[in-house]
Amino acid sequence: MSYYSSTTYARRRTGMTRGYNSVAFTSSVKLGPVTHTVLVALMITVLGLIYLTQATKATSYDYEAQKIETKIAELSTEKTDLEVENARLTALDSVRNSSVARAMTSPGAPQHVSQ
Amino acid sequence: MPFQSISHSRIRMLIIASVFLMAVFVVRLFYLQVIEHSKYSILADAEQVKRLTIPATRGEIYMEDNGTPVKVVLNETVYTMFVDPKIITDPEAVKDVIREVAGGNTVDGFAKLVDKKDTRYQVVAKNVTRRQAELIKKKELAGIGFQAVVRRVYPEGTLAAQTLGFVNYDQKGQYGIEGRFDKQLRGKDGMLQSVTDVSNVPLTIGNRNVNIPAQNGANIVLTLDRNVQAYTEKALSDGLRKIGATDGSVIVMDPNDGSVLAMANFPTYNPSKFAKVTNANAFNNAVVSDPYEPGSVVKTFTVATGINTNTITPQSTYVNTDYITIDDRTITNATKGQTGTISIQHALTWSLNTGMVTVAQRLGGGTINRQARNTMYSYFHDRFHLGQMTGIETTGEVPGELIPPTAVEGNAVRYSNMSFGQGMNPTMIQVAAGFSSLINGGTYYYPTIIKGNLNDDGDIVPAKQKKPQENVINASTSATMRTMILKARREFYAGNDRKGYDIGGKTGTSQDIVNGEYTFDETTGTYIGFGGDTKPKYVIMVRVSSKGRALNGGDHALPIFTDISNWMIDYLKLQPKG
Repeated sequence: MSYYSSTTYARRRTGMTRGYNSVAFTSSVKLGPVTHTVLVALMITVLGLIYLTQATKATSYDYEAQKIETKIAELSTEKTDLEVENARLTALDSVRNSSVARAMTSPGAPQHVSQ
Repeated sequence: MPFQSISHSRIRMLIIASVFLMAVFVVRLFYLQVIEHSKYSILADAEQVKRLTIPATRGEIYMEDNGTPVKVVLNETVYTMFVDPKIITDPEAVKDVIREVAGGNTVDGFAKLVDKKDTRYQVVAKNVTRRQAELIKKKELAGIGFQAVVRRVYPEGTLAAQTLGFVNYDQKGQYGIEGRFDKQLRGKDGMLQSVTDVSNVPLTIGNRNVNIPAQNGANIVLTLDRNVQAYTEKALSDGLRKIGATDGSVIVMDPNDGSVLAMANFPTYNPSKFAKVTNANAFNNAVVSDPYEPGSVVKTFTVATGINTNTITPQSTYVNTDYITIDDRTITNATKGQTGTISIQHALTWSLNTGMVTVAQRLGGGTINRQARNTMYSYFHDRFHLGQMTGIETTGEVPGELIPPTAVEGNAVRYSNMSFGQGMNPTMIQVAAGFSSLINGGTYYYPTIIKGNLNDDGDIVPAKQKKPQENVINASTSATMRTMILKARREFYAGNDRKGYDIGGKTGTSQDIVNGEYTFDETTGTYIGFGGDTKPKYVIMVRVSSKGRALNGGDHALPIFTDISNWMIDYLKLQPKG
């Protein structure tokens, strides 16, 4: 069945092309070889410039990213320093020797109230 | 025509020359780009592609503080300051600024180093802080540089030094948690491979960039409570000073889950100044690494074995003559005079060796035969876990020694000695964990110092704990043991206890071996006990010793226990009975 259809279609295609005249559009403007060369050169130049622009743009983002990363690293170091300072200031020995602690009195024995 | 001919000839020459020149270029370019491609490609990569290590941050260590994790080990970035004397233009200004800003961190004779014009690198100050470095940089003096160094910070000083350990100059963890969990704390360095510019700024051009982020080390939360640890160390230090002893250790545990609340050792050291330690013993955590004969504290284990096997009750009696003979050896009581028919409770309270040997004999039906020894070993080793590693998560744990009855040395004399704590070498952690099972209802919890890991959200991911061993003794035996140990303390030692609480304990004194022989001139004192309200909330074990000193449990170790115990009652906010 499929073989039959296929042969019919092939016959139609042959019939269609036989009875028509093919017409090609011809431009009135003629470009010489020099113009062609110049145009191709121009296109290559434009493409090159586009590539360079994009590459430079990407690189400029790299510098931006680097700046941000440096800033993050600085802030991170600063945060760590503050944490260390906090740990030193809240260390039990520091607290015990602080002026506030020295001014405190010893607690008495706690009294418990039965409910 | 001649002109045209000349003109054409010149053009031709020009064309030929141009073509030749271009051909030279083409050939050269072909040679460089195609034939020598790989060579120049390698050279370009070496110049442009940089491999940078992204260092992982070492994990921090936390302790508990009333249920809140607090940092006790951190990282700090400090700077090593160096100069290049050859390019220093104003040496006096450089010296002044170093003296003014980093005066406390300078190396000896730094001024002379600045003047060494024939050298290019001289370290002039170490451990300079970021703030100091920034102040110096602001002066914009030529010839000064800084190198960042990450160092470990122990803000609590000597607190729990043996448990924490330290990080050496090669950034390797040594001893304690730093040593045991070095790999986890260290993390994994990352890697950045990228084309860089002249300033080493990574650029996204190129197709071989690699960015593997660093995996920072795990943040470990310990079960140690900072306040309990600090008070325990203070009590130990004060107690040793009062009795003039040099060495001591204390462990405080929660008997209801095996978590260690404090482990203190003396002498101690500051992990930040580990290089200044002259006695390497200070690095060791004696609680886990120094097995010894704990003496009479083991009597609680013997009595528990007897009661749990229905061999004895606290009211069981025996005739005490202050000595007892096993094979060719005569064992005597340290405390004499309690002769006649007395109860096992009496023997425990007065710490009579003969009573414990009697219990051991009754386990075998009257003699310390193989059956008695097997039963004792089964309880001491398999149930109370004496003489074997507990698996505590720190370096240096040793199994100690408990001779099995199958060994030649595991004879009746050995087991009679073991019944009152001699002839065996467990560690403090083993005794404290086993003792906890005696008084907590009969469950053996493996001791632990790791609560878990702190994740990035600040939540604790609990550590996987070993499954506890239940029913090492019956709940009723455990209740009986609590009562017996309470009585043992109340008879002599409860005078300074906070009233209204259940505080029990047992003394222990053991002879040390000097020149290969036991001596009474040098003894180690031990005290182990528990405290709580409706149920035991803490177990404290104290050990004191000193070269050439005869120290005992009742006079020397017990006061330290009492001091810590009374403080624990307040700290845990326990309500008194009645």
